[in-house]
Amino acid sequence: MMSLFNLNPLTIKKINRFKSIRRGYYSFIIFTLLVLLSCFAEVLVNSRALLVSYEGNLYFPSYGSIIPGRTLGLGYDYETNYRDLQKKLKDSGSGFVIMPIIPYNPYENDLNDSSFPPFPPSFEDSHYLGTDTIGRDVAARLVYGFRTAIFFSLILLVVSYLIGVSIGAAMGYYGGLFDLLFQRIIEIWSNIPFLYVIMIISSIMIPNFFMLIVIVLLFGWIQMTWYMRTVTYKEKAREYVMAAKALGASNSRIIFNHILPNTVSIIITFIPFSIANGIIALTSLDYLGFGLPPPTPSWGELLSQGSNNLESLWIVSSVIVAMTLILVMVTFMGEAIREAFDPKKHTTYE
Amino acid sequence: MTQYFIRRLLLIVPTFIGITILVFVITRFVPGGPIERMIAEAQQASMQTGGMSQSVGSSIGAATLDEDQIRQLEEYYGFDKPVLVSYWDWLVKVVHLDLGESTRYSDPVWDTIKDRLPVSAFYGIMTMFITYFISIPLGYMKAVRHNSHFDHASSIVVFVGYAIPSYVVGIILLVVFASNLEWFPMGGFYGDEFEDMDSKLEQVADIFYHAALPLLAYVAGSFAVMTFMMKNSLMDNLAADYVRTAIAKGMPFKQAITRHAMRNSLIPIATHFGNNISVIIGGSFLIEKIFNINGLGLLGYESIVERDYPIVLGVLVISAILQLFGNILSDICVAAVDPRVQFR
Repeated sequence: MMSLFNLNPLTIKKINRFKSIRRGYYSFIIFTLLVLLSCFAEVLVNSRALLVSYEGNLYFPSYGSIIPGRTLGLGYDYETNYRDLQKKLKDSGSGFVIMPIIPYNPYENDLNDSSFPPFPPSFEDSHYLGTDTIGRDVAARLVYGFRTAIFFSLILLVVSYLIGVSIGAAMGYYGGLFDLLFQRIIEIWSNIPFLYVIMIISSIMIPNFFMLIVIVLLFGWIQMTWYMRTVTYKEKAREYVMAAKALGASNSRIIFNHILPNTVSIIITFIPFSIANGIIALTSLDYLGFGLPPPTPSWGELLSQGSNNLESLWIVSSVIVAMTLILVMVTFMGEAIREAFDPKKHTTYE
Repeated sequence: MTQYFIRRLLLIVPTFIGITILVFVITRFVPGGPIERMIAEAQQASMQTGGMSQSVGSSIGAATLDEDQIRQLEEYYGFDKPVLVSYWDWLVKVVHLDLGESTRYSDPVWDTIKDRLPVSAFYGIMTMFITYFISIPLGYMKAVRHNSHFDHASSIVVFVGYAIPSYVVGIILLVVFASNLEWFPMGGFYGDEFEDMDSKLEQVADIFYHAALPLLAYVAGSFAVMTFMMKNSLMDNLAADYVRTAIAKGMPFKQAITRHAMRNSLIPIATHFGNNISVIIGGSFLIEKIFNINGLGLLGYESIVERDYPIVLGVLVISAILQLFGNILSDICVAAVDPRVQFR
C-alpha cells in the first residue's frame, strides 16, 4: 500500500502534466479553496458577529453557545441580534461589532414592515443576492447549500468507491459463481429506474442527510463496481500477476499490493465526474422536493423556488450561475485529470 | 451468435421479474397507498359536509370509512392477499397485456400510457435527429482541426453543455426566452387554440413553436457526449495504420477520411443508438415537468406523487422492457456494423 503514497517519478510526471493543463489546474485550485472556505462558512456567512467589543470585554460569538442579549446590555435573554447591536454600539460609542461579510444565517427571515418578500438584491441591507420568497438571504443559502452538496457528494464518493472497488475487484479476481451472482444482481439493479425508486422511498419518509446518502448509495455503487470488475479482470491476466502467483503470493497480497496500485490512476480519473454526479443528484432530488427536508439550505430548493417565481429573477439566476460555475469547474478538472493520468496521443497529419 | 442473442432474450424474463417484483414490494409496503388516500379523502369530505347534513349522512358522516368498506377496497385492489400472491396475479394480468386500472382516474392504465407515448416519442426522436445532426459534423471538424482555435473554443461550449444537467438548461431557457423575452411559450405540448386551427400546417407549426425550448434542453443534454465520441473515434481511426497507409500511398487527406476513417468512426455512434431507446420513448420527466409537457415521464412522476401504483408499475413495465430490449439492440448494432465483434 505504501507505494500509493510514495511519489514515484511516473506520478510526479502525471502531476506535472496536470499542472500544465491550466484550465483544469486553476479550476482545481479555486474549487479546493471554495471547499475549504465552505468549511468555515460560519465566520463568513452568519448572523452572529465575528467580534464584539463591549465595555472593554471581547466576545467571539461565531462558534460555541449563544450569548444572551442581556450580557451585551440589551434587555432580553434570547440570542443577541448582532446587527441591531452593531447599530446601537455605533450610536452609543461604548464598543464595536464586526459582522461577517454576509451578516445573515441561512434560516432567518429578514422581514420588514413595509413590503413583502422576496426582496431584490440590495447592498444597503447586505442582501447581496436578494432574499427568497420568505425573506431568507439567497447568498447565505447558496453558501450553506454548496457546503451541504459538496459534503454529500464527497461522502457518497468515498463510500461508493469503497464498495465498488472491493466488490468489483473480488468479482474480477475470483470470477466464477460470485461473479455470476453479482452480474445478475447488477443487471437487475441497473435496469431499475433509480430516480424513480428514490422518489418512492423519499416520498414516504422524510430523509435526513445520511439516510439520503444511503438511498442514493443503493444505486450509486454499481458504476464503480462494474468498472473495477473489468479492470481487475484485465490486470489479472497480465504477467506480473502470474509472476506474483508463481512466487507464492497470497490472493490478498496480489489484490492489495499488485493489482490495486495499478488501477489507482484510472480510479482517480473518475473522481471529478462522481463529484459532479453527486451534486446533480442531490440538487435534482431537492428540486423535486424528495431530498433534504426544509428548511435545509439547498440549491435544488432555491432552483425550484426560483423557477416558480420567475419575476424574482435574482433567485433563479444566482443559483444557476453558482451551479454552472461549480459544475463547469469540476468538469474542467476531470478533463485535465483524465488527460494527465490517461493521456491519449494521436497522430495528426499536416 | 444467434445462440447468444437467444440466450440474451431469454435472460430478459428473470431480469424483468426481478425489477418488477422489487418495485411491487416497495409500493406494497409504503404507507399512504390508495386506500389510506381514500380514507383521508372520505374524512375530508365528511368534515366538509358533516356539519350541514348530520341527519342524512350517518354512514358517510361517521368520520371515516367503516371496516367493511375498507375490506372491500382492499379486495378490489388486491391488498388483502400476501405480497407474492398479488404480485403473481398482477404478473399474469400483465402477460395478458392488462396493466390494470388507475386508482385515481379508474381509467385503464394502458390507455393513459398510450395517450402519453406519442408526446415523449416525438421529443425523443426529434432530439436524436438533431443531436446526430450537430454532433457528427462538429465531431468531424474538431477531429480534423485538432488543437486549433476552433477545437479549443468549441470544446469549452461542449464542456459547459456536458457539465450542466439538461433540466437546468431547460430552466435557463425558460427564464431567458419564455419569461423575459417572451419569444416562446412557457410550456405545454401545444397552445390553447390548437383544436381551432384551420390547417394541419398551422398545427404542426404550433407544435414546433412549443417544442423549440424543450428540444434545445434535450439536445444540450446529449450532444456533448456524442460529439466527443465522434471526435475521439475519428482521431483513433486517423491514427490507425490503414489510414496512414492510404495517405502514404498518396491518397488526398479528405478522401482518406471520407472513404476510410469516417466509416469506421461511425461504429460507436451506431452502437450508441440502442442505448437511446428508453430515453427516446420514456423522455426525461424533469424536462417534461419544467415545460409542463404531458409525456410519459411526467405521468410516472405524477403517479408517484399521487401514489397511483398501477400507473407507476405500468410505466415501469414499459420502460423496463424498452431498456432491456434496447440493451440487446445495441449489441445487435455492434455486431451488425462491425464484423470483427464476436459474441459468445
